[in-house]
Amino acid sequence: MAFTSLNFLLFAAITISLYYIIPVKYKWMVLLIASYAFYLISSPKTFVFVLATTVITFFGGLYIGNCNTKHKEYIDQHKEELSREEKKAAKAVSQRKKRKMVVLILILDFGVLAVLKYFRYYLQAAGLFDIGGLLIPLGISFYTFQSAAYIFDLYRNKIEPDRNIAKFGLFTAFFPQIIQGPISRYDQLAHQLYEGHRFNYTDLTHGAQLILWGFFKKLIIADRVAILCSEVFDNYTEYTGGAVFVALLFYTIQIYADFSGGIDIARGVAKCMGIDMTHNFMRPYFSHNLSEFWNRWHISLSHWCRDYIFYPVAMSKFFGKLGKDLRNVFGDRIGKLFPVIIAQYCTFLTIGLWHGAEFKYIAYGLYNGTVIVLGLLFEPLLKGAIEKLHINAESKAWKFFQIIRTFFIVVCGRIFPKAASFGVAISMFFSMFRLNHGTPFSETIMSLGLTNTDFLIILICCIIWFVVSLVQERDMRINGGDGNTGFRQMLDRRPLPIRWAILLIGFAFVLGIGVYGPGYDAAAFIYRGF
Amino acid sequence: MRETVLEILTEIRGDIDFDNETKLIDDSILASLDIVAIVSEFNDEFDVEISVEDLVPENFNSLDAMIKLIENAQE
Repeated sequence: MAFTSLNFLLFAAITISLYYIIPVKYKWMVLLIASYAFYLISSPKTFVFVLATTVITFFGGLYIGNCNTKHKEYIDQHKEELSREEKKAAKAVSQRKKRKMVVLILILDFGVLAVLKYFRYYLQAAGLFDIGGLLIPLGISFYTFQSAAYIFDLYRNKIEPDRNIAKFGLFTAFFPQIIQGPISRYDQLAHQLYEGHRFNYTDLTHGAQLILWGFFKKLIIADRVAILCSEVFDNYTEYTGGAVFVALLFYTIQIYADFSGGIDIARGVAKCMGIDMTHNFMRPYFSHNLSEFWNRWHISLSHWCRDYIFYPVAMSKFFGKLGKDLRNVFGDRIGKLFPVIIAQYCTFLTIGLWHGAEFKYIAYGLYNGTVIVLGLLFEPLLKGAIEKLHINAESKAWKFFQIIRTFFIVVCGRIFPKAASFGVAISMFFSMFRLNHGTPFSETIMSLGLTNTDFLIILICCIIWFVVSLVQERDMRINGGDGNTGFRQMLDRRPLPIRWAILLIGFAFVLGIGVYGPGYDAAAFIYRGF
Repeated sequence: MRETVLEILTEIRGDIDFDNETKLIDDSILASLDIVAIVSEFNDEFDVEISVEDLVPENFNSLDAMIKLIENAQE
């Protein structure tokens, strides 16, 4: 059931209505039934995998939680008589027990993901396992990563284990997030799902605004620019020069509008029931460097990688020691940077692989990792050059240049996941620099499936999006936080008729110029495929 | 200890007013690279073992929180 289908809107409306009718104590049950119903309607054959992950993670989590409790009780009882070394030894014993369970759960949870998503073709080709008829479970990467975060947080003693398997089932399969995230954390989301919220007019209107905004981005912008992107990327041998660059630029707009639009719809549905899901975007194309970009793009995945891959690798004793040894060879700076460089590559390799097993995704990860690592390595050189050239690093012009530079680095990187393969990506990249002498540029662009009106609509809508983003950035600068609610708060301060007028105009806009209609099926969300 | 911690922090991020900032993590003022550098310096300077488990915003949001973290790690 796609977010953009009428069925989904009906499903969400019925769920939200039931949620508010049922007494507070039982509201979570409405969400659980709705989530499982949603999954059974959308992907009935793979429902068993969600259940398996839920059961494995739940019982494994209980075991780890019990280890934490026993260790705490032991330390509390013997606080006075134990020395610092003895306390450390007791902690090490408890950690070892927990670690074994963590490894077991990860093998089981990620094993399913690996077999069904990454190795299915190899296993089938080798005749080891016939899984040809089996679909990849809907949202498997999202719910597997979310479950793993739960286990890691328990291991780190940051949370208490869930003791109700039905409620935990809801946390794993909450229907707005199962298709394309965000990857929520247990301590941020679970209590909101379980506690039940009474009807709140502000939550409902904010949720509706978010849904509308999501549809605006998905149906008007993403699905429209997708027409041009598909034409060029599907027939890449026929296009060179500016046409390829325009397609890449449009894909950069498409993927942002598509993914953030889907997230807005998901967050909007949850918000209608008073549930605040974690943010996944913070105006990524306003970033001044690539590191900042990854803190603003697909935040729930990059923060997952930061917390469970980057920090453990960068702070590991092994790489720390290796870095210290390397200080004698390469100097203090490189020695100190060494664990960070390894951690960056591990992080971006995971981000690449998260999208799929094909080499183009690995290349995408390595590209991003390499740009960031080069930035780190040459930082003193760049700072020196800036000083020598008398550039004011705090000036608006320099900041603007940094934003444009980062944007183009991102645009170039987008070629890897979008192209059919790594080879195609490389060939398309170089074809950008080959001019097409036959047909004039404007004629080529106009033959890519979009009309003058389409280009005008894209331009106007991108300007609207840009202005909203500027308001959000301003809110972030003034009030701190992520600024994502800045525009909605600005709307709230306007008189009721103006708010409704804006909403109705937005609704008419989506209905009137969204890319759909008889015989047209809204394009599937790109991240649904991950 | 306060002076030493402040010296370490200023060495890593000279552009931040560590005396007054109380939302270093919540407002994304400190980046993950800064955190790794800070922890590495704390571990070396104060002979403590600050681990991944200690990487929660409450421990790094302010100068005082970081001093408390080191004191706890020394116990």
